[in-house]
Amino acid sequence: MQLAEISPNPYHPNLMRIAGFADETRDVRTLKLQFIDAAEASEFGGWQPGQFGQFTVFGAGESVFAIANKPWHPNGSGEPPTIECTFRAIGKVTTALRAMSEGQTIGFRGPYGNHFPLDDWKGKSLVFIGGGIGMAALRSAMLAAIDRKTEFGDIVILNGARTVADMVYKDEMPSWQEVEGVRVVRTVDPGGEGEGWDGEVGLLPNVFEQLALDPANRIVIACGPPVMLHYLFLSLGKTGYQPDQVVTTLENKMKCGIGHCGRCYVGPFSVCKDGPVVTWAELNELPKDY
Amino acid sequence: MNRTAWKLTETQMREWLQGLVDAGSSVVAPVEEDGLTLFSPIAAAQPAHLEASGKTQWSPKEFLFPRSEALYRYSLKGDTVEIRDPEVAETQQVLFGIRCCDAAGLMRLDEIFLSGTKDPLYAARRAATTVVTAACAAADAECFCTAVGGSPVATEGSDAQLVPLADGWMLRVLTDKGEALVGEASGSWTEAAPDDIARIDGLEKIVTEQITRNPIQREWSRVLEEGFENASWDQLAQHCLGCSICAYVCPSCSCFDMNHEADAWCGEQCRSWDACTFGLFTHHASGHNPRSTRQQRYRQRVLHKFSFAGEGEDHFRCVGCGRCIALCPAGLDIGEIVTAAATAIQEEGADAAR
Amino acid sequence: MSNVATNAVPRTGAAAVPDGWQPHIVALVCNWCSYAGADMAGTTRLQYPANVRMVRFPCTGRMSPLMILRAFEQGADGVLVSGCHPGDCHYVQGNLVARRRFTIFRSLLDFLGVDLRRLHFAWVSAAEGHKWAKVVSQVTASVSEVGPLPRFSSADAWDGLDMPAVEGTGPGELSVADLEALQTNVRRAAAELLTTDRVQKVVGYRAGSMSGRMVPVMVTTAADTSQLEWGDGCVNNLAAFATTALETAANVALVVKTCDLGAVTGLIREGQIDRDRVRLIGVQCPGVLHGDELADKCRSCSGAPHPICDLVVTVDGVRESCAEPDEGSAATEDARDAQIAHLETLPPDERWQFWQRQFGRCLRCYACRAACPLCYCSSCISEKHRPQWIPTAIDNRGNGAWNVIRAIHLAGRCSGCDECARACPANIRLDLINRKLALEVERQYGSAGLDPNQKTALIDFRMEDAEEFIL
Repeated sequence: MQLAEISPNPYHPNLMRIAGFADETRDVRTLKLQFIDAAEASEFGGWQPGQFGQFTVFGAGESVFAIANKPWHPNGSGEPPTIECTFRAIGKVTTALRAMSEGQTIGFRGPYGNHFPLDDWKGKSLVFIGGGIGMAALRSAMLAAIDRKTEFGDIVILNGARTVADMVYKDEMPSWQEVEGVRVVRTVDPGGEGEGWDGEVGLLPNVFEQLALDPANRIVIACGPPVMLHYLFLSLGKTGYQPDQVVTTLENKMKCGIGHCGRCYVGPFSVCKDGPVVTWAELNELPKDY
Repeated sequence: MNRTAWKLTETQMREWLQGLVDAGSSVVAPVEEDGLTLFSPIAAAQPAHLEASGKTQWSPKEFLFPRSEALYRYSLKGDTVEIRDPEVAETQQVLFGIRCCDAAGLMRLDEIFLSGTKDPLYAARRAATTVVTAACAAADAECFCTAVGGSPVATEGSDAQLVPLADGWMLRVLTDKGEALVGEASGSWTEAAPDDIARIDGLEKIVTEQITRNPIQREWSRVLEEGFENASWDQLAQHCLGCSICAYVCPSCSCFDMNHEADAWCGEQCRSWDACTFGLFTHHASGHNPRSTRQQRYRQRVLHKFSFAGEGEDHFRCVGCGRCIALCPAGLDIGEIVTAAATAIQEEGADAAR
Repeated sequence: MSNVATNAVPRTGAAAVPDGWQPHIVALVCNWCSYAGADMAGTTRLQYPANVRMVRFPCTGRMSPLMILRAFEQGADGVLVSGCHPGDCHYVQGNLVARRRFTIFRSLLDFLGVDLRRLHFAWVSAAEGHKWAKVVSQVTASVSEVGPLPRFSSADAWDGLDMPAVEGTGPGELSVADLEALQTNVRRAAAELLTTDRVQKVVGYRAGSMSGRMVPVMVTTAADTSQLEWGDGCVNNLAAFATTALETAANVALVVKTCDLGAVTGLIREGQIDRDRVRLIGVQCPGVLHGDELADKCRSCSGAPHPICDLVVTVDGVRESCAEPDEGSAATEDARDAQIAHLETLPPDERWQFWQRQFGRCLRCYACRAACPLCYCSSCISEKHRPQWIPTAIDNRGNGAWNVIRAIHLAGRCSGCDECARACPANIRLDLINRKLALEVERQYGSAGLDPNQKTALIDFRMEDAEEFIL
């Protein structure tokens, strides 16, 4: 009996064509993907900011990336969306993906997970803090917030990287600042600045403190390497932020994406089902197992 | 609904079993192989090893959750990819003679695979499976089902249950599926008398007394979770060798890996058993590993079995079969470790480091 | 144009050969000699069967058994390995190291039921175009004769295999008083080493929760030595804990049975532990149990502690020892050798069925690896995924690949402690595989014994190493 006769296969990926790409750094690339199959495209329900997908390189396997472009919902126009993802070539699948070219086919399953609750933040000021490729997990929410700027107070985007060459989204950042009330601060680690750098120099938590933003009525959305988050949370605590004002997204190793394989558990919390978006307050309730 | 209970002789039980095989179902029963008792599909009733007590070497979970299976197959043709979903077997399956702890384990697997997004391959197999448990007349040395809220005569997960008697078997029919499995065969059977049925409680008492392990207290779930940072975890699992026997023989462990098994032209997304005890389980491509030591991984396994309950779960995930204890090459005893950790955490405080 | 090999009906009694079947043969060839020789066969227009696909390597020394295995595992019916003649290797000695490796790997595959008509080795030089053509013809005919590679699967029906009983009574019976005396003396020895600060940690055995079974324990104070026990439940090879014990103690003592010492020696020899930081407490052993019976490995052992240990514990007491290991080693006897000999009398496809049945039970729990003191790779070949050498699927094919690779990785190094077989929850006769390879290494090259300064066979070579099977 064919499986399709009794149930859709949650592991069956949609086929996507690589419609274009942009190299952010020497090892980080943003892909633009389009549905190949019209039926799959028409059934696609879109995504919310912060949700992720499992991207398949046939022959190499799957890898999790946040869906990086603005949230999309079926809008009756029949236009299928382009899905963007930003990834670093570091392991088996991502290295194989990096070697692929425009026109080739990969797979996509998703969206999975919960999302950044932008609606809950109406009226508040937002600061997005992304360390290195952590920016990729924030981009969907950032672009959505910029689009809906009038619903929020001021928006600060703090993009930190080890060196100038490692900074992602360099080319688009000017366009983010075109909207009034949106401020972009770029920083590289000491020693990473090179010639002609006109941004800040300093570790992300320090640069954040120097911004001296008023914690009142502000939400911090942060994503980056574990060590960066650790020090950032210390800074946030010091400067008066409450744990429920701080939101991050967990980047655990994931495989099934639907809460079955057991890989992404942090205590009772399944990152793929209950996360990946969590507040610092929720993280404090979980064992330090991430 | 009160369903009939039957008394069967050994011969009648074997005839019934033979009938199930002849009817074309895939009947899985304990068999002997190279000194082991294992579950395997049988071609005839006679080789099935159906005794009043004693467990198989490992659980029957592979008949619902195979060691490996293809989640989809694909082939590459130039720049296009063709994906084919797996076939679903249409034969009915009978798990015959599994123990009550094993049946409870299957219920734990249901909680994973049938909740949220259902796993269709698992669901199809489950729907096509009827479970006939065999209650235990004696405990193995490693058994501790009663210490975790189970019982040698528990009916959780059973469609029908064979209860060993001195002179044959009693068969309790518990669900519609069980009724259907009995079918016409009961024509020549005697109905069990109330006295026979009452013997089940007696049997439970005998076996419970044989289990010498102290009960795992319900509140230890919380104690263990609060004592996540306690130093006793390192000490208690010092000699763990980092294999995955415990997870693989366990009736309720269900973690798996997914890999493309492929050549240059085609392949499959292969799901296969995996375990949180392995070093690479939570290893990130960046090199970061939240559980980089064996002791941290063992702690995770214990907490996943005894704490970290999902919403609405009011039982331990561990079913107390004890196979992990009997088969651990380093002699770790999960019941002992839970007791010792909970005691240490309560005595020393949750964060105490020695 | 090619002389395509004709079909021959296989004599194995396996499924009938499909119409028009042609053997698929993979040849691993070295670039400098055999590839050039094959090229010459082509340029001189020699005719020979077209069933061979070549994979070019720099040297036979680069041809890991893993690659031969992979060809079979991917469906090749036959494999040909060809390189420079000994003495002519482009890299001087690559083929000399390879020769030993191929000899042992060949005997492993034979033991596991691969018909040796499928596996051939040859030395073909760049000038030997004719030899290449002849070798390929010969190999193709040979593989055609035996038929398609058997499937990696367990037969539906299996009646088991009658194996000869394992003979031998092992160490003499020790009385309860003797065992208690030994236990007391183990504690004394451990306490002495700790109180004199010769060691800061002792790895020994304590009572486990299952009756009669001892489990590993690490004690750091003299008072804690009262936990140490001794008896027929002391099954673990504590050498498996040596490296981790040494991470947090300057010097460590290991309580050892004589069968544990080969692993200790291996760890020292391979630079994993420093002999100067380890004290060995060798104890007179009653033989350990496997289930309710005396373990097979014990049946040909006297149980006497070995004089290379720093302290020797007997019923009578504790004495200093620390003798030098003997040079070379006398061949040891093992009670299982009769079972190995029996398997070798069977035709290959019966051996294949036997081992497929065993590997079919394998769960890939890697307990064999975890329990083995000499499986210490921080990243195991099974964990490598770029490329994925060992299939992840838990089926006969993937399981066979894993077990074959582990066996060949241990050849010449395995000390025969049988921990792998004891740990295996599927009762796979890993002990027979490892013992078979140990016998083969012993027969061909001699074994390194308990001297850590002696090289193990497969990292060494002699010009005069045997090669009677090489074309």
